[in-house]
Amino acid sequence: MSLRTKPRHRYLALKIESNKTFDKRTLLNKIWNSLTRLYGEYGASKANLVLIDYKPEEGFAILRCNNNGILMVRAAIAIITQIREAQVAIHVLAISGTIKALRRKLSQTQNV
Amino acid sequence: MKRKFVDLNLQLPIHDLDKTRKMLEKAHELGYDLVAANLSPDTDDGTITYIKKLCASVGIDFATRVELIPKTRHELLGHLRRLRRKFEVVSVTCVSKVVARQAAKDRRVDLLFFPRLDSRKRFFDSQEAELASNALASLEIRIKPLLLSNGVQRTRLLSYLRKEAVVALNYGVPIVISSEASETWHMRKPRELAVLATLFDLDFPTGLDAVSKFPLSTVKRNREKLKSNFIAPGIRLVKRGKNCH
Repeated sequence: MSLRTKPRHRYLALKIESNKTFDKRTLLNKIWNSLTRLYGEYGASKANLVLIDYKPEEGFAILRCNNNGILMVRAAIAIITQIREAQVAIHVLAISGTIKALRRKLSQTQNV
Repeated sequence: MKRKFVDLNLQLPIHDLDKTRKMLEKAHELGYDLVAANLSPDTDDGTITYIKKLCASVGIDFATRVELIPKTRHELLGHLRRLRRKFEVVSVTCVSKVVARQAAKDRRVDLLFFPRLDSRKRFFDSQEAELASNALASLEIRIKPLLLSNGVQRTRLLSYLRKEAVVALNYGVPIVISSEASETWHMRKPRELAVLATLFDLDFPTGLDAVSKFPLSTVKRNREKLKSNFIAPGIRLVKRGKNCH
């Protein structure tokens, strides 16, 4: 049995494609709603979602979630097609265990 | 080796070339190496060549696909006889049990799709799976209905897909996940499609196979068959003429 009690996190860099921009609260609420609809309150509670960074003009966000809930969060994000009646597609650009590594990954992909 | 990702069902608006180019560029940006577009059975060779050139300029491979929606067994056989050698991927939308059984046992059919949201009209049961497994047909699961439905409708769809995925895995029928996207908003990265497959209890690696290994092997097999030197699986014509020693 594992004695590890400290939760492990995953950081996701997101690209939000839409004709409109949304504030931080709207985006996070939409992701929470999607997660709750798909997995219920019990499932969503395991994800432990936090929006770390959001740049509405660039359509870029960094989200943190529990490692165990990563597939649930990715599915909840992928299934979003609308926010406030505007068409939206949210793509995961990169995933990492630390913000530093995530930013490094992003800069590498931008260089390529 | 790097995985090659395939979307076997893009609904390209061929009459709108700007939009078609945008969708192909988007597919390339999202990480697809090969896409198949649903074409009308009477699409002329000029249009197909043009789309292939467009795909090549974008940096993506293109496969032709036709979707058959026959009402009877005879109609299906007629379509297959006429169109099999024209298209690289043949998908059959099974609207009746007779059509579903014929499509599953016919080796000319690549993909089986079940559109109805009614348990009595989804014909992918163990008998169907056994036939499909012998004929090398795959079960096609489209993501667009999952994206656009909600509430009870989505719950029911997921429930049917879960049942069908279990049957397919038990009988070794490959599952192919496609987007059916007609707009860029509905396009998702291949890994996102694989993640969405976890909603109907496929594990992530199987989901990845469903957007890479299985569709790619279908296209490869058919391309081999459509070559002029193909005789039968494993037999190829290597030389023609008088001095064939």
